[in-house]
Amino acid sequence: MKKWLFNPFVYVAGTKALVIGWAGILVTAVIGYFSKTHFDGVLDAHTGHSSPLWFYLEDAIVDWSLPVAIFYISGRIFSKSSIRFIDVAGTLAFARWVMLFPALIGFCVYVPESNHPTTVDELIKRSMTAPVILSGLVGIAFVAWMVALMHNAFTTSCNLKGSKAVWSFVIGLIVAEILSKIILQSI
Amino acid sequence: MQRNLPHICPSCSSTLKVKSLVCEKCTTEVTGMFSLPLLASLTQQEQDFIIDFVISSGSLKIMAQKLGLSYPTVRNLLDDIILKIETNQKNNKTTPK
Repeated sequence: MKKWLFNPFVYVAGTKALVIGWAGILVTAVIGYFSKTHFDGVLDAHTGHSSPLWFYLEDAIVDWSLPVAIFYISGRIFSKSSIRFIDVAGTLAFARWVMLFPALIGFCVYVPESNHPTTVDELIKRSMTAPVILSGLVGIAFVAWMVALMHNAFTTSCNLKGSKAVWSFVIGLIVAEILSKIILQSI
Repeated sequence: MQRNLPHICPSCSSTLKVKSLVCEKCTTEVTGMFSLPLLASLTQQEQDFIIDFVISSGSLKIMAQKLGLSYPTVRNLLDDIILKIETNQKNNKTTPK
């Protein structure tokens, strides 16, 4: 059970993982549209402002494709195995399925629309409610789960172990997060 | 109970050699100094993997289906065995005969 929750890539990878992963990503994007939950960065989940549906799909494409490109390049550099692109792409798509939960949590949270004319103090006061704080903490737990899944996706698909795996993953993830923020801000 | 063939000396961790072989039928015994085959230095699980791999005509896809594992997991298992064999080969070359 633990393996299925944190490292399902031992059993599922390649095209199968890509199809399942992308089904989850699309469902998450649609749910996010209705619950106003944006995934505006590889590790981000923010709720509170509505946008057209294509914004959510755009988030999904950037959040998936950047780690795939970065981790595939890392794998080609650091791994001695003959890694396959489809495994990196599939497992990293599958790793994002847990973002479905923050998208659902978005229905339970009311955060005032950021374009409403409110003062910063008022905005902070209205955001610091128990449901918002609680959902934030739960959201962080799901992001941590996704990071664990992404790490296992990377190490399984690229056959990396030890400190080499940890450092290349941490650096790759930070680069992916920064690039995703820059790209999504500029679109 | 299945007994595993020991290949490492429990005292000094050197590679063990075969000193004698015996015929089960007539108890004829042959003594000498024989090296263990390279595959004998692998665990039973790893040996089974290699046999399955050969039977599957070296197809990782068929192996993945047989074992119920993903393709990269099977490839990683194979790569780990290759690394172990290469290390053993190097050690055998450096060990004085």
